[in-house]
Amino acid sequence: MRRGMVIDLEKCIGCRSCAVACKQHNAQPAGSWWNRVVTPGSDRHLTASTPENLYFLPIHCQHCNNAPCVKVCPVGATYQTDDGTVLIDFERCIGCRYCMAACPYGVRQFNWESSKDGMQRYEYQNNYTYGYPDPFRLDGRLVYSPVRIKGVVEKCHFCAHYQAQGLDPACVRACPGKARHVGDLDDPDSRVSQMIRQMNGFTLLPEKGTRPNVYYLPPKRKEV
Amino acid sequence: MGVSKKISLTVFGLIMAAGALMWLIQLWRGLILTDMNNAYSWGLYVSALAFFVGNAAGGLVLSSMIYLFGVTALKPFARIGALCAFANVAAAMLIVLPDLGRPFRVLNLLLHPQIMSPLVWDVIVLNLYAGLSLIYLYLLMLPDLAARTGILKKITLPVKDPAGFSDTWARRLAPFSLVAAVGIHVVTAWIFATQGARGWWHTAVMAPDFVAAALASGTAVVMLVAVLCYGTADKFQSAFRIMAIFIATAFFIHIFLMYNDFVIHAWYGTDHARETLAITLQEYGLAHAFEVLAPLAGVVLLLNARVRKTMSGIMAGCLLIIAGIFIHRILLMPAAFNQMPLTLAPLGSQHTLWSVPIASGRYAPPAETFVSHHSYFPTLVEILIFAGVLSFVCALILVAVHQLPVVKEG
Repeated sequence: MRRGMVIDLEKCIGCRSCAVACKQHNAQPAGSWWNRVVTPGSDRHLTASTPENLYFLPIHCQHCNNAPCVKVCPVGATYQTDDGTVLIDFERCIGCRYCMAACPYGVRQFNWESSKDGMQRYEYQNNYTYGYPDPFRLDGRLVYSPVRIKGVVEKCHFCAHYQAQGLDPACVRACPGKARHVGDLDDPDSRVSQMIRQMNGFTLLPEKGTRPNVYYLPPKRKEV
Repeated sequence: MGVSKKISLTVFGLIMAAGALMWLIQLWRGLILTDMNNAYSWGLYVSALAFFVGNAAGGLVLSSMIYLFGVTALKPFARIGALCAFANVAAAMLIVLPDLGRPFRVLNLLLHPQIMSPLVWDVIVLNLYAGLSLIYLYLLMLPDLAARTGILKKITLPVKDPAGFSDTWARRLAPFSLVAAVGIHVVTAWIFATQGARGWWHTAVMAPDFVAAALASGTAVVMLVAVLCYGTADKFQSAFRIMAIFIATAFFIHIFLMYNDFVIHAWYGTDHARETLAITLQEYGLAHAFEVLAPLAGVVLLLNARVRKTMSGIMAGCLLIIAGIFIHRILLMPAAFNQMPLTLAPLGSQHTLWSVPIASGRYAPPAETFVSHHSYFPTLVEILIFAGVLSFVCALILVAVHQLPVVKEG
C-alpha cells in the first residue's frame, strides 16, 4: 500500500477551498499554510496571470518516496510510515529547520512563535478557536495537536487523524470541483493509478529525484 | 593581568551577557525575533556555525606542519593553535543552540540519532575534534604544568620526561588530529552540499572549497593570537613567513575553486544557475567584492616582509582575511534561499521562470503572505547573540593565555 493523491488541474477552479479547509481542520497557526494554491505566471498570489496562461496549482507536501526531509532530520522527528506518508513527531522535533532547507517544494512551516502570540499578531478575535479538537497519536507519536508549541516544524500529514477514522483528507472532502482523489499507488487497478496512466499524470520537480506520491493531471489550455 | 587585558575581558563579558540575555528573550518569545521566515529558514546563526568551524582549522595546520612535516619554526605557536581550535569549535557548537526552535530537546540527538543526517555526522566530528584539541593542548602544555601550583599541578601526568612524552604523543596524535580537522570542514560542507534542493549548495566543489577557506581563516586566527602574545621579534619572523605563505596558498586555492565553479555554471547557463549567480554577484555584489578583495588585501599585506615586522600590519592582514571569510560564510544563504527550488514555466510563456512563493509564516501588514524573495538582514537579537559567542571565543583565549602555560616566557 502506497498512499497517493491525484490532483486534476483541469477540474481545479482555483477557489482555494482546499487551502482553507486544510488550515481550519488542522488548526494551523496564523501565517502557516500547509496547502497553497498558486496561479503560475501571476505577479502576486491571488491575481490572475495573462488569460491564456490561466490555471491553478495546489501545492502541499508531496510525500516523497525519496524524501530529503526524512534523510536530513537528525533526530528522526520527520519519518515515513509504511504507506509512504511523511509525518512529523511534534514531541521529537528540535526545530533545527534542516528539513526546510532540504525540501524543494517549500511546504514546511515553522512555528516562529507560540500560536497564541501569532493569533494576537494577526488580530484574531479573542477566544476564536478552530481545528480538529483532539490530539492524534500514531503508534504513540504525536503527529497532530490542536495546540501548537513554538519552535517545531509542521506540514501536511495527509490527514492522518481522519485516515484513522476511514475518512479522506479534509482537502479532498472540501474540494467543490472534485479535483482531488486519494488511493493506493501500488495497486495498478486503483482509481488513482488509472487516472495517472490514462491522463498523463506528472509529478513536480521530477529532476530532483524525490519521487513524490502526489500526482497532477495536466490542465487543458484555457480558451478565453 | 594587565589593565588593557582587564578592560578587554570586561568588554567581552558585557557582550556575552548581552548575548545571553538576548537568547533568554528569544527562548521566551521564539525565533520570531530573528529575521528568518519559512522561505529563508537559515540565517546568521548557521553562517556563524560554518565560520567558527572554519576558524578551528588553525590547530590542524600547526600540529600537522610541526609534527608531520617537521616545520619546527612553528613550534612556539603549537599551543596557541590547539587553544584556538578548541575555542572556535566550542563556539561552533554553541552558536547552533540559539538556532534551534527547541534547544532543550537537543538531547534527542543522543537518544534518537539518525545516522543518515549530515547534521548528526557534524555533531560527532565536532565533539571529537573538540576533545582532541583539548587533549592536544594538555599534551603540549605538559612540560610546564608540573612547575605550576594548585589544580594545574594536580592534573599533571606523573611521567619521567614530560618534554619527551609530550613530543612523542603530540607526534602520534598528529595524524588523527589531521583527519578529524579535515573531517569537521568536509562534514560541515556536506550539510549544505548534499542538498539537491538548493542549487547554490549542491556542488562537489563545496567541501574542498570549505577546507581551503578554513585553512586560510583558521591559520589567520592563530597568527593573530600569536602576534598578540609574542609580538614580532626576529626569532618569530620565519614562523610568520611560513604562516603567511600558507594562508596565501590556501586563499588562492579557495578563490580558484570558487570561480572554477562559477565559470562552469555560468557557461552552461541554466536558469537556476544564472539566478544564484545573479543573487551573489549583483544583488550581493558589494559583499562578494568584499569576500574576495578584503582577504586579498590581507594576503598582500602578510606576504610583505616589512609588514610582518609590525604588530599592526600582521593584525590588519589577519583581520581582513577573517572578515572576508566571514562574509563568504554569510553569502552561503542568500543565493540558496532566494532562488526558489520550485519554479515553473507557466503555460503559454515557456521561456519564463516563475518561482512558486512560500507562506512566510510571519505576519507583517505591509508584507506579502506568500513570498519568493526575502532581503534577510539579521536582527539586533541575532547580531548580539553572535557577538556574544564571538566574545566567548576571545575571552576563552584571553583567560587561557593568562591562566595556562600557553605562552612560553623568554
